[in-house]
Amino acid sequence: MADKAILYDATKCTACRGCQVACKQWNENDEYIPPPSDPNGVPASNWGSYENPPDLSPQTWLKIRFTEIEAGGKVRWLFTRQACMHCTDAACVRVCPNGSLYHHELGFVAYNKDTCTGCGYCIDACPFNVPRSTRNIVTGIAKMDKCTFCTTQGLDRIAEGWEPACVKTCPTGALKYGDRDGLVAEGKKRVQTLQAAGWTNANLYGENELGGLHVLYVLDDYPAIYGLPVSPQISAATIAWKDVIQPVGWAVGGLTVIGLGMNWLVARANAKKEAK
Amino acid sequence: MTHHEVEKYRKPIRVLHWIHSGAFVLLFLTGLILFIPGLGFLAEDSWTRVIHRIGAAIFVIIPIIYLVINPRSVGRGLKLAFTWSKDDIGWLKAAPRYYFLGDESSMPPQGEMNTGQKMWWFIVVVFGVLFVITGVIMAFAKESAPPAVLQWMVFIHDVSFIVSGAMLFVHIYLGVFHPLMTDAWSAITGGKVSAEYAKKHHGKWYAEVSKGKEEA
Repeated sequence: MADKAILYDATKCTACRGCQVACKQWNENDEYIPPPSDPNGVPASNWGSYENPPDLSPQTWLKIRFTEIEAGGKVRWLFTRQACMHCTDAACVRVCPNGSLYHHELGFVAYNKDTCTGCGYCIDACPFNVPRSTRNIVTGIAKMDKCTFCTTQGLDRIAEGWEPACVKTCPTGALKYGDRDGLVAEGKKRVQTLQAAGWTNANLYGENELGGLHVLYVLDDYPAIYGLPVSPQISAATIAWKDVIQPVGWAVGGLTVIGLGMNWLVARANAKKEAK
Repeated sequence: MTHHEVEKYRKPIRVLHWIHSGAFVLLFLTGLILFIPGLGFLAEDSWTRVIHRIGAAIFVIIPIIYLVINPRSVGRGLKLAFTWSKDDIGWLKAAPRYYFLGDESSMPPQGEMNTGQKMWWFIVVVFGVLFVITGVIMAFAKESAPPAVLQWMVFIHDVSFIVSGAMLFVHIYLGVFHPLMTDAWSAITGGKVSAEYAKKHHGKWYAEVSKGKEEA
């Protein structure tokens, strides 16, 4: 099946944060004011920005990041969508020990919260710093959460043929949902329009990063200015651990058991011969 | 034929061994299910992590208690394990023929710990410490340490798991199943081995202990 994707056009975003609210409402992630005793709560705070809550959390899978930069003596106020990027080559899917994170048939990274073991490997492996978890530091009981592209079981909009909640609510058309190929073409066209209008640094982010992201960004300036990693990579530790050490572990374990089995057969036969 | 017996392991050592190895097996199994994708479902909702942490607490606390109660015994054990002589090199050369074919002709006499046991001790001490350091960081600095550090901690923890896990199989096999290790099981359960076994397997050590006895 053709991959689906979301196209986010930062130049059309007004940071109304309707997407944040729609995401919370549809996915039943009520905002709450965490008491100081809740170690996992990210409390709202007044820090001189409209950006709120200050960070993603197990209850906040999507937020708009506000960036203020100075360019040519003027202040520019930039908005970026911050949520799971749904990579094709997804580090989280690689490290998840039991397939709780997996690729949906439409390409994005789906998640089965019921089977999550709370190991937190995905949190450390993600190049975009997206997954968040609740965690009891003493017992180790934990549960991860992130954007599921509205495919959470029982709340699956995609299976109904609907668009994700964030896209549905976007009033300016900054968020679009559709076939990925079509959205890539549309994004490129929009970049050309922007460049023609004088935004020479305009670019489409996510076309080829990590095998192709399923959230594409139309930006009027370099990704780094928007706080996006310039060339996101699967970390060396992920590769050394998953692709080197784990296969070696299987080989070492297997050879040990085989070696001991052979030793047992030979040594027992010899012991019997001696006894006779 | 005499049924003379010698004490190989004192009771506190045996108790230490079984509590510590029980904790290690618990840690091994609850860790293994994250290694085998097909068994990962057993870890759902983190309850195996709770067991892993209880096992880890026992794994750390028991040797510390023993160290506090009897530091001399720990020092003596470490000295035994880390002192190598030319007889240990001889053991390494003779080991394949001995363990497969039962040929003891070129096997040099061994002390209280033979070379294989010394190597196992080395693995237990070195990787035990690595397990604890990386484990403590993963358990208590999960929210504060940089992600790259945590990922390398998992890596080192897994390397330790692979080496000590494979050697655990060897250890259990030699203690329980190998046809020549007739008295190993009774040594670590009841504490005693027959004089014949001691003479054959730990010649140097038997000479030391029996000398004292004969004089007395």
